[in-house]
Amino acid sequence: MVRFLVRRLALLVLGVLGASMVIFLVLRVLPGDVAQLIGGTKATPEQVARVRANLGLDRSLPGQYFDWLGGLLRLDLGRSLLTNQTVSSALAERFGVTVPLTVLAFVVTALVALPLGIYSGLRHDRRTGVVISFVSQAMAAVPVLWTGLLLIVVFGRGVGLLGVLPSNGFPDAGWAEPLAAFEALLLPALTIGIIEGVVLLRFVRSAVLEALAQDYVRAAAARGLTRTGALLRHGLPNVGLSLLSVSALQIAALVTGAVVVESLFNLPGIGRMLVGDVGSRDLTKVQGEVLFLTTVVLVIGTLVDVAHRLADPRQKVEAS
Amino acid sequence: MSDDLSTEQTEQTDTSSVSTDPTLTDQSAANAAARRKRRILISAATAVVVLAAAGGIAAWAANEPASSPSNAAPETTLTVALQLFPENLDIRSTAGAALDQTLIDNVYQPLVSRDPRGKILPSVAKSWTVSQDALTYTFALAPDAAFSNGDPLTAADVVWSITEVTAKQYHDYQALASVGSVTASDEHTVVVKLKQPDPTLLYNLAGRVGLVFDQKATNDRKSTAIGSGPFQVSSFKPGATLTLTRNPKYRGDPAQVGTVVFKLFSDTNAIVNAVQAGTVDVASIDPNLRSQVQNNTGYDLVTGFASDKFTLAFNNRVAPFTDLRVRQAIRYAIDHAAIVKAVGGGKTLSGPIVESDPGYQDLSGLYPYDPAKARQLLAEAGHGNGLELTLRIASFYGSTVTDLLTSQLAQVGIKLTVKAEEFATWLKDVYTNHDYQLSIVDHAEARDFYNWANPKYYFGYDNQQVQQLYQQATTAASEAEYASLLQQAARIVAQDAAADWLYNPTPTIAVRKGVTGVPTDSTSSRLDLTDAKISK
Repeated sequence: MVRFLVRRLALLVLGVLGASMVIFLVLRVLPGDVAQLIGGTKATPEQVARVRANLGLDRSLPGQYFDWLGGLLRLDLGRSLLTNQTVSSALAERFGVTVPLTVLAFVVTALVALPLGIYSGLRHDRRTGVVISFVSQAMAAVPVLWTGLLLIVVFGRGVGLLGVLPSNGFPDAGWAEPLAAFEALLLPALTIGIIEGVVLLRFVRSAVLEALAQDYVRAAAARGLTRTGALLRHGLPNVGLSLLSVSALQIAALVTGAVVVESLFNLPGIGRMLVGDVGSRDLTKVQGEVLFLTTVVLVIGTLVDVAHRLADPRQKVEAS
Repeated sequence: MSDDLSTEQTEQTDTSSVSTDPTLTDQSAANAAARRKRRILISAATAVVVLAAAGGIAAWAANEPASSPSNAAPETTLTVALQLFPENLDIRSTAGAALDQTLIDNVYQPLVSRDPRGKILPSVAKSWTVSQDALTYTFALAPDAAFSNGDPLTAADVVWSITEVTAKQYHDYQALASVGSVTASDEHTVVVKLKQPDPTLLYNLAGRVGLVFDQKATNDRKSTAIGSGPFQVSSFKPGATLTLTRNPKYRGDPAQVGTVVFKLFSDTNAIVNAVQAGTVDVASIDPNLRSQVQNNTGYDLVTGFASDKFTLAFNNRVAPFTDLRVRQAIRYAIDHAAIVKAVGGGKTLSGPIVESDPGYQDLSGLYPYDPAKARQLLAEAGHGNGLELTLRIASFYGSTVTDLLTSQLAQVGIKLTVKAEEFATWLKDVYTNHDYQLSIVDHAEARDFYNWANPKYYFGYDNQQVQQLYQQATTAASEAEYASLLQQAARIVAQDAAADWLYNPTPTIAVRKGVTGVPTDSTSSRLDLTDAKISK
């Protein structure tokens, strides 16, 4: 077990390191830079060069990378080239939107996927099951942006047909107005949650089908349990672990969904900040933010792996 | 890490709230007062809860927090919607009209100020004289001027601020090219000596290069600001809000509103939605979305003028634009009236200078809409079988104009490919590296004719006669002479078809009923809110 943990941890560190290199390089390929943006349409090339030197952007790429890496080792994500604000404080400021949004979206995902997935698995040979399966298949192909627009058109306050939920912005006072803040996150969370939910639904459905085919489930049913009862008591605990792994992957999808949805719904979260920072080529900020998000996803993946390992005795045998 | 931010913020509030002689007794008295106020507030709140029905109590409670010594009226907050937002607060280095709009006159004051038509007004300098030879300007500063941190504003600050612009090549430093020396003859008098006469000096000093900063201040100018204006920055959240509060150290009549919140909206629709929902007081409205706001009885729609010139830039240095006939053909091919109609509001523009700037003349007779003539010119230039051109444009301009332009040019046989790209990409490729054929840019700044006299600018327009006329204009002894020389130069540029000027937009602003004193002209470049007032 200890060896397993050490190996997983080493993999995590390597993953973050590799990600840092990729992020750094990819961002350097973007055309244009922050110095030109600061200079604007009146700056002379000398002025731009001056700004660039002031910001330390004239140093060699490896030099810049290792500076950044050195900061990371001290848990310093760096500072914005534009505002001098620390990246960590910028992230902290936006946490209050993105984290609740992601959690809420995950709840929606689960609420969509679990009941419908189990139901359509149990009824896989009936009409309702087939319809659910077909609709989810179709909806999984719908882009998040489109779902969001559709929800706004139907439910958006002031613009939608029903006009019951706010679709634009977050209260200025933030969570000091809990009801308004929660309301503001509902449509965005539904947008991500429905799409991610139907994706997860299909995994749940096939897990159910797999479980139903197991001998011990059939045996339990033969002993007098209902099929649903047998499935819930014996089947799902055995196949549920693979669902845990899939959900971990979905966290990454939720985060990318947040980037799109925050821009669409004008929410002051990490995703919208990221889009803005890429636009203004605030590279130190972008790389800090992206690395942070990547690390979160990697850490969750590792935690799920560990949990998987703890919960599933079969893996212990295989590994030793 | 988040400590860093909070320290910055505390420092900032500290500096802004520290009085000129803070003593311990003052401090404890202030604490006691704060405690007292808190107690009063709590009891007020209780009273409101218990006697919610009694309107009189509610009014009393609303009046209670007014701490401003000058008036007992309730503090009001003015919320202004912005679509472009300052990237940071470093107005000396960072480009962007949003900085001028939010900070100049409100937070930072220039040596002199100006109205939207360019009339020079007193600011930090309460008066000034110009010598007979127009080479020496003497400014008398307001004697009681001070910065929001309490530091007195002296001639030394002015001298330092202006000389730094040239020394450090701050934004727009070229505007001070004529300045020979800036000196303080006493604590409240600044003397500016010129190398040659400059009819635009006062106008320029009323802009960024004339802003007065506190030489002794050591604050981080990217995230905080210390100025002498009626407001001070109380918080700046990049990409979200910029909050100003009344500057108690301001020497003039105090600002009417206690707080101004500039709030970023992601697009024109979001702004209209905010007006519909009634969450903003002042918002610039896309003229095409006017109808959505018109029925809202809570707002007045006002229009003003702007110096924006939506310019179809030709890369004059590369083929086919080296051929005058091609440039002329494009100008003939464009139906400007149709463009103005499509964008929902504005005026046609047929030359590089707008009506509110010196040097304007009506040049619409030069290239009237004439597709037949355009086709003929293209055929003469050897493009009778068609011409393919690419237009690169920053994506935030939308596609209304480019769609129309594409179909108009198609009618004369020009196949236009439109490439909308990120602003940063555009800046590098088009603006810096001149790698383009056509582009559309909103040249928003007033009095920016100098771009036509600069062959290195991305227009690549190199006409020595224009350059000479412009040179003469900038050293003219009088404003009238300056304007007439510019007029001559502008006519040549327009005749040369160095670009096509698509239109001059008319800004439409939604102002909540009860809000007064908000400027309506050129509001995207300056928005002085000193007199803004909310009566309800």
